Amino acid sequence: MAEHTVLIVEDESTVRELLKYRLGKHYDVYAAENGEEALDRIEETIPDLIISDIMMPKMDGFALQSALQTDKNTRVIPFIFLTARADEEARQQGQRKGVDDYITKPFDMEALLSRVERLLERIDMFQTQLNAEIGQDFSNRLLPDQVPTVEDYKFRFHSEARQQGGGDLFDWTETDNDTYFLTIGDVMGKGLRAKFYAFSFLSYVRSTLHTLLKESTSPAALMARLNDMLLNDEVLEDTFATFLLMHWSPNTHTVTYANAGHCRPVLMTPDGPEVPEHSDLILGLEEDVAFSDVTLDLDPGAALVAYTDGLMEQRTQDGDMLGEDGVRDLVAEAYGSDDSIRALLDSALIRSASDQFEDDLLVTWLQRENRNG
Amino acid sequence: MGFDARRASSETVVIHVGEALDFRNADAFKSTFQEHVENGIRQFVLDFSDTEVLDSTGLGAIFSLYREISSDDGKVAFADVSEPVQVVVHLTRTYKVFRQFPSVEAAQEAFSG
Repeated sequence: MAEHTVLIVEDESTVRELLKYRLGKHYDVYAAENGEEALDRIEETIPDLIISDIMMPKMDGFALQSALQTDKNTRVIPFIFLTARADEEARQQGQRKGVDDYITKPFDMEALLSRVERLLERIDMFQTQLNAEIGQDFSNRLLPDQVPTVEDYKFRFHSEARQQGGGDLFDWTETDNDTYFLTIGDVMGKGLRAKFYAFSFLSYVRSTLHTLLKESTSPAALMARLNDMLLNDEVLEDTFATFLLMHWSPNTHTVTYANAGHCRPVLMTPDGPEVPEHSDLILGLEEDVAFSDVTLDLDPGAALVAYTDGLMEQRTQDGDMLGEDGVRDLVAEAYGSDDSIRALLDSALIRSASDQFEDDLLVTWLQRENRNG
Repeated sequence: MGFDARRASSETVVIHVGEALDFRNADAFKSTFQEHVENGIRQFVLDFSDTEVLDSTGLGAIFSLYREISSDDGKVAFADVSEPVQVVVHLTRTYKVFRQFPSVEAAQEAFSG
C-alpha cells in the first residue's frame, strides 16, 4: 500500500513542527499555516487526511472545513479538528458535517496517532473492497457466458481472475459461414488499470471484427488493424497486448490463426504434442508490422490448446517457471481425460510451489472428436 | 527504489536494470528514463546482467520508452541478457525491435559506429 499523505494546518509553529515530526515517521506529511494556505496546498496535492487547528489567522479551521465540503473531491477527506479548550463553545454550537474527530489540546500524541491510523485503515479497507468489486466486474465482462456448441467438437474454456492479475480476455464470434473467430489476449500491466484497458480494447475488437468480417476472414489483416488502433488511439496509448486470433472452420476442420506475441498454442494429436513455431510481434509497439496467417489441420482427435502467461509463469517447486515446455507436457498428460482443462490445471498445481495460481489464468481447449477411436 | 543510469556518451545512456523490473518498480524505471528523454537522449542501453525477473508490466515500461523515442529514430539495445529476460523477449517476439548484444560495451560500440 502506498504511503498516506497527511496535511497539517496549524498556525503555532511548535505544535506544527511537533506534528510534522511525529506523523512524518509514518506518513508523507505536509503543512500549512492557515486555511487559505491549506486550500492552495490541497489544490496541488489532495491529502488522505487533514488535521486542522480551529483558531487561525486569515482563514480559520471552520471556514477551511466548510470550503472543503463544497467540493466533491475534497468532501470525503477525513478531517480531524484540534481544538483548544477556548474553542469548546464554538464546537458545541454547531455539530459540523464531515468532521471525523475532535481532539482537545493539549492533546495526547499517542491517542492522536492511533485515531489517524484507524481512520486511514478504514479508507484502505473501502478502497480495497471497491477495487475488488470493480475488478471482478471487469473480469466477468472480459469473458463470454457460453461457448459455441458444434457437432464433432468439444470446446471449453476456464478462467480465474486475481484482483492483482492482469487483463486477460477471451471472446468468440460466429461468422455467416458457420465458422468462428476466437479471440484470446492479454493486456500488459497489472490490476484495475490493465483490466480497464482490456475491457476498452475488447469492445473495439468486437466492433472491428463485425466490420472487417464483411471484407476478409484473415486474422492477420485484423491484427494489423488492431495494432494501428493501439498505436493511434489516445486513450489506449501506451497499451500493449499479446493477442491470438483464431479463425476456426469446423466444416473444413482447420484453424487459421495470427499470433501477436502471445503464448503459442499447443496442438495435441494422438501422436503427441507440438508447439507451432509461428508468432509475430506484440501489439502496440511498432507501426507497419507484418502479421501472417498460419493454418493448422485438426485431424480426428486433435486438440488445440491456447492459454495466457499466467499458466506459463506459474512457479514450480524448483522455483522455475512452468514454461512452454512445461505447459506442453501438461497438455499431453491431460489429453484424453473427461475434463481435460481441469486435469491440466490440477497437475499444474501439483507441480507448483503455491497451492493456487498466482496470476490471472485463461485456458481454452478445442478438440475434434475421434470418431474412429 | 531508483535505477542506476549513467551517461556513456553525449548520445547514449546506460541503465542498469538490476535484479528485477516488474510491477513494483516499473514507475521508477519510467521516471528514470523520462529524465534522459527530456534531455534529448535517444539511445539507451539496458544492462540486464543481474536481472532475474522481468514481468509484463516491466516489459511494458521498456515498450513505453521505445514508443517515446522511436519516432525520432531512437534506439533501445538489450545488453548481457539473462536467461529469464531471454524467455520473455523470445515469447513476445520483441527481439525484432530491440537489438541484443553480449555486453554493454558491444552495444555502445554498435551505437557509436
